[in-house]
Amino acid sequence: MTKPLHENICEEHLFSTIFNKYAKDLHNFLYYKYGDLLNPKDKVQEAFIKLWENCAKIPPEKAKSFVFTTANNLMLNETAHQKVVLKHQQTKPKTYTNENPEFLMQETEYMAKLQKALAKLTEAQREAFMMNRVEGKRFKEIAEILEISTKAVEKRIYGALEKLRKDIKEL
Amino acid sequence: MMNREELISKWLNNDLNDQELEAFKMLEDYDDLVKLNDGILAFKATEYNTSTELEHVLKTIKTTKKQPTYWLKPLMRVAAVLAICFSVFYYTTTLDTTMTTEFAQKTIIELPDNSSVNLNAKSLLAFNKNSWKQERDVTLEGEAFFKVAKGSTFNVITKSGTVTVYGTQFNVKQREQYFEVICYEGLVGVRYNSQETKLKPGDSFLIIDGKQIAKEKENRSTPSWLNNESAFKSVPYKEVIAEFERQYEVDITLLDINSNQLFTGSFAHNNLEVALKAITLPLHVTYSKTNRTITLKRE
Repeated sequence: MTKPLHENICEEHLFSTIFNKYAKDLHNFLYYKYGDLLNPKDKVQEAFIKLWENCAKIPPEKAKSFVFTTANNLMLNETAHQKVVLKHQQTKPKTYTNENPEFLMQETEYMAKLQKALAKLTEAQREAFMMNRVEGKRFKEIAEILEISTKAVEKRIYGALEKLRKDIKEL
Repeated sequence: MMNREELISKWLNNDLNDQELEAFKMLEDYDDLVKLNDGILAFKATEYNTSTELEHVLKTIKTTKKQPTYWLKPLMRVAAVLAICFSVFYYTTTLDTTMTTEFAQKTIIELPDNSSVNLNAKSLLAFNKNSWKQERDVTLEGEAFFKVAKGSTFNVITKSGTVTVYGTQFNVKQREQYFEVICYEGLVGVRYNSQETKLKPGDSFLIIDGKQIAKEKENRSTPSWLNNESAFKSVPYKEVIAEFERQYEVDITLLDINSNQLFTGSFAHNNLEVALKAITLPLHVTYSKTNRTITLKRE
């Protein structure tokens, strides 16, 4: 960030800029990590409201860390650490030309396996893997969001891929 | 040639060049990877509309009207210091003045409004100088004679009961199982067990062992103890003994003597031998004395 030092988040335009920049990433991060059950959207809201309440104390360059940590803590306060099961979207990403019943059944089976396998990943693996695969983020971007090294991100994502394939085969 | 893991990592990071892409496609599990990759897309997060969500947040922020809190902390510090100063001030100014007397000791205390209190032996009187103008309250343990200047209500608070007066002279004696108020001048109200009794000059109010005892008119103008003499009229002997112990700082043991029998008489405070005779002869009792222990025995 290249904002002048004296600017603080209490100014609405800066607050909005920060929101626009990070809210979606934060939401997706929470979603992939904890699933939909605990309302990631609400946690994003709460975290940004807390940011506003503390706007005088937090320099803009710390804002991202603050909302990510706050939202994550809000989640941790609620999760009973049950298995996170991600939901399929209604719309299929691909249209198939050869939709005979057997193929459809196999397809449904495969998706069920994939869902179970995703639930078996660790939170760290799942958040990194999904941001990469689904949101199309590169290792470096994920590393910045999670505040870990690119190498660690690569390891997590590759590990997640291998684990998924192994689990799908076994299921 | 790159190994499989490197190819897959590069593929994951969208880093494959054309040549590497060809090599990647040659991997035996290429189809599996593509299938998995397509499948994963179905688990995309629910849609997040940043501008709608921002509106929500801004609305919430504005309705809660949050004041920035950075001035609150220093203010709290100032408030804490003030609170401490105030409590110290409050504590010191409301601190009671306390006077106590020991065995064989009597004292006169001048109260802030020229009222005076004579305090008998082994007694305690406490009052607050600062709130004196608002309420004339004194706390008493033991025995005292009051000359109260005219003014607002004057309360003597004891464990047994409260004595309320307006400008008068009266004596209060509150000892274990013994509570006596004698009015010498003016009008005195005695509150005992939430019942008020009014005393006119010469009237007395006496409670022994929780029972009210009727007494005849007092015709002295001041209590006898102010003249260094304790006088009793039909008082249980044990009370006489207790008073004697307080005046002479002695321990008295009764052998074979009914401590509840009534005693009428008096003893002086300045001569132990004479005083002992005064409380023993009428009851035909002998006494023996070693140091500060005195044993009384029926003849």
